[in-house]
Amino acid sequence: MLKVFKYTLIDLARNRFVLGYALLMLLVAQGLFALEGDPTKALLSLVQVVMALVPLIALVFTVVYMYDTLEFTQLLAVQPMRRSAILGGQLLALAAALLLAQAIGLGLPLLVHSPTVAALVLSLSGSALVLVFAALGALIALKQREKARGVGVALAIWFLFVLVYDALLMWGMFTLSDYPIEPFVVPLAGINPIDLARIMVMLQVDLAAMMGYSGAIYKNFFGSVGGTIVAALILSLWVAVPVLFAFRVFRRKDL
Amino acid sequence: MAEARITFQDVGKRYGSLWALRHVDCAFHAGEVVMLIGPNASGKTTLIKSLLGLVSPTEGRITVNGEVIGSDPAYRKAIGYMPQISQFPATLTIGQLLEMMADIRELRADEVEDSLVEELGLSAQLDKRLSTLSGGTKQKVSAVLALRSRPGILVMDEPTAGLDPLSSQRVLQRAAAVRDAGGTVLITSHLMEEVESLADRVAYLEDGNLKFLLPVQEILSSTGSTRLSEALPRMLESNALSHVL
Repeated sequence: MLKVFKYTLIDLARNRFVLGYALLMLLVAQGLFALEGDPTKALLSLVQVVMALVPLIALVFTVVYMYDTLEFTQLLAVQPMRRSAILGGQLLALAAALLLAQAIGLGLPLLVHSPTVAALVLSLSGSALVLVFAALGALIALKQREKARGVGVALAIWFLFVLVYDALLMWGMFTLSDYPIEPFVVPLAGINPIDLARIMVMLQVDLAAMMGYSGAIYKNFFGSVGGTIVAALILSLWVAVPVLFAFRVFRRKDL
Repeated sequence: MAEARITFQDVGKRYGSLWALRHVDCAFHAGEVVMLIGPNASGKTTLIKSLLGLVSPTEGRITVNGEVIGSDPAYRKAIGYMPQISQFPATLTIGQLLEMMADIRELRADEVEDSLVEELGLSAQLDKRLSTLSGGTKQKVSAVLALRSRPGILVMDEPTAGLDPLSSQRVLQRAAAVRDAGGTVLITSHLMEEVESLADRVAYLEDGNLKFLLPVQEILSSTGSTRLSEALPRMLESNALSHVL
């Protein structure tokens, strides 16, 4: 697995898309900190960008990379090596390349302009989203035989998590506002990894108060150590479950 | 008859309701070159992929060197494979790719056969990125990868497609050398003229069924031809195969 990881990482380190991702994040982050006088406001704007852009890029890039390297994956699969080692090496390299690009593009500006706990949580949440959506991307690419279809499914999933889910949640909360729905708000927000990541950052900049009643509920739960552990566990599950399914699919897949 | 290096025992492969291979029963021996032929979608690639472990047969079993192939990938150490389409990581260089594959196959320096790199004119291009190579040069790299570990079993899918005549000849000479060293070579090709001098037996597949697996001499004598490229169409048209089907 380490051999596949090593050479895939060498390949990805010079990949234009990965370099472009690092540059884009760097430009966006630097631009926001330069435009906003208050680093906290810049951080808040950056949260919105990260929560939308990071899942999209991790998802689409993973799907496209997996399809584009299919013939080479076949060549690897005829070597005396287990398929789990091939997929493991490729996924680790993809995650490492995207995380490295993000560390440069997002981590560095945060470290320079806003070395706070909130910035650290944003960095960690962004990294978790990279892992979650790279894992989902791998599963999509392995399940769908056609590249166009795979990219379409990836975009639909991104759209669902970024927009549709929140819209449905908001609609439900307004519609059922006369009922005691608070016990359901936390688990429903926790299901969506992007919402979960956003809540964790918002709690650090103390914006939960501005999020009204649901913000208070989030703060009450996720603001505690236990809540943070639960959030980390949920995000870990969002990585582990797609990865396990991806290994299962890849082991049996006709290449 | 030499020992059976590869056997297919009632092998079938179904994709949905379509059988890509059906009841394939055959053996390929040490020291022979077998040419796999057949129309498009006849099952040639599925047969090769089943042997390589890229697809799992729906029924039957395949043995390599006496062992039934299963989840243990160790048997593939004996196999060199040259695919029809060569696609490599774009930003790696030829040198890095060769190093990677030697690393994966855990080849010692004395196990690596690098003279083909020189013969195919790749020595001066080892630092070139794979994304900058022409289709023909990628095929040369693919040939080197297949032959570099001195495999006992060599599987080549349209090996001369995209190669210049001289390189084609050199690659086929290497395939002959594998056979002469006691190896088993399976080749699919649409360019029969190029590989017919190499083949010892011909396997003909149609609609997933192995219609025949015959020595070249028998095919030539049964049709009165001197060339395989003439004999096979004649044989198929005249139904001269009825005695073996």
